[in-house]
Amino acid sequence: MNKVLLLAEILTVASALVVGFHPNILYASVFLLFTFCGVAVMFLYAGADFLAGAQIIIYVGGVTILILFAIMLTQWLYKIKLADLRNKMILPAILSVAVAVFLYRALHQMVATLPLQTPEALEKFTSTPKTALMGHALLGSYLLPFEAITILLLGAMVGAVWLARPE
Amino acid sequence: MVQSAQFAHSLEGWFGLLPLWGWAAVSAFIVIYFLALPFGGLATYIERKIAADMQDRIGPNRVGPIGLFQFAADAVKMLAKEDFIPKGGDRFLFNLAPLFVVVGSCTAFAVLPLSKYLIGADLNIGVVFILAVTTLIAPGLLLGSWASENKWSLLGGLRAASQIVSYEIPVALSILPIVLISGSLQIGSIVEQQGWTVFGENQASYHFWNAFHNPFTFFSMFLLFIGGLAETNRIPFDLPEAESELVSGFNTEFSGMRFGLYALGEFCDVFVMSAMVTALYLGGWHIPFLDIEKLGFALPTALVAFVQFHMFMIKTLLVVFVVMWLRWTLPRLRVDQLMGMCWKGLLPLAFFNILGTALWMWVFKGQSLMQLLAGHG
Repeated sequence: MNKVLLLAEILTVASALVVGFHPNILYASVFLLFTFCGVAVMFLYAGADFLAGAQIIIYVGGVTILILFAIMLTQWLYKIKLADLRNKMILPAILSVAVAVFLYRALHQMVATLPLQTPEALEKFTSTPKTALMGHALLGSYLLPFEAITILLLGAMVGAVWLARPE
Repeated sequence: MVQSAQFAHSLEGWFGLLPLWGWAAVSAFIVIYFLALPFGGLATYIERKIAADMQDRIGPNRVGPIGLFQFAADAVKMLAKEDFIPKGGDRFLFNLAPLFVVVGSCTAFAVLPLSKYLIGADLNIGVVFILAVTTLIAPGLLLGSWASENKWSLLGGLRAASQIVSYEIPVALSILPIVLISGSLQIGSIVEQQGWTVFGENQASYHFWNAFHNPFTFFSMFLLFIGGLAETNRIPFDLPEAESELVSGFNTEFSGMRFGLYALGEFCDVFVMSAMVTALYLGGWHIPFLDIEKLGFALPTALVAFVQFHMFMIKTLLVVFVVMWLRWTLPRLRVDQLMGMCWKGLLPLAFFNILGTALWMWVFKGQSLMQLLAGHG
């Protein structure tokens, strides 16, 4: 077992548990940041180095900051304690277990179809740089979905500006 | 030329000698004690000397020859200071926050191309790596300000985070023209391609410094520099610590070595930003118009690395000097001016530069201005 990867996995899972069960929402969001970092290291080991960088830039530098902003600027959000929510935990628990089982089965089936069964094939896959391949794929065979997403994001941005405009 | 996954695997191979924490400690020790700390320490001294020169004063001159050991005296003072944590503050976050800043800015040193043969890890996502690890600074400032339980601090921290998140976009966009030109995110190969020489056989395949590749990249360099200034919270963008408005901003409640870590992180970040401008736009380790490895006779690799390292340092420190020079020249912006400049000024200009560079690459088949002038077009 790879030690760095193991450490990243422990970091991810332990921080995720803190995110789920810490009574203080600010601490939960700080540990969410560590979860994102751990996931980035896992991407690195899966051979998706660009994705790892993007993960840190977008989730640590963007999403976590926005969550922290929301917590710090909203008075009542910081005061909520986990005790208030104890009777609301059953349905989320069932749902998250169901999602976990579904994801595990889906990923299991997907991995079985990939030509990565031998250690050599896996090694070759993780050590090839993929940034250039990804660029060619996004602007080549997957141009239409890529453009569709950019239009969606542009729409979201225009909507945000419209909502925030001075009356 | 190490791919990042390979780098991680080769790291794994060395683990037989030391446990994981041992290697982490060794590499952190090397980066902090041989690069970050000397630079961060000396930068505080140099900044004061430059400030003194510009204000017609003498500056620090008591500790050691021409005051050179002032930074060591400062470090001793900081270590000896009372370790103060505000009563209503958050102990855990107060301790954690400065570490984010130091980790964020020191980790970026790993991919700085000090020379062709002296680069910690030439990752194939090098540029993205620098952008990624330096984003850790924003949570550090924000959490430190919140944990201080102080209104000035919180205002400073919120300003810092919004400023860094906003200016990240023009910075990333002003790196894109270089990625278009070099077709790579690997800093080593980006620098390598800027080695155009007057009498060399590589004129056709190499172009001169990226800043002079075409008019758009020339403007793009200034956008990167301005965006970098704002990301490192330097004057004229030092709103997060604006002394005249917010006491000392996000680090008001920090004293002793925790304040020292914030200061060190800031100076390291300035160095990383300047090194990025140097490597991406100013030719990195290349001596202008001369290739030290193709002089007709072979030089020892150590000497080549030595000369290249000094060339890189000279360029980077010149950029750092401009940063310090601006500090004593320009007044601070207002918050609305800051945001307006980012979203209405830098962002459209950055898009314009990307389109212009793409157009240039299409019209002139990727030839740089220097190659066209030399008749390789």
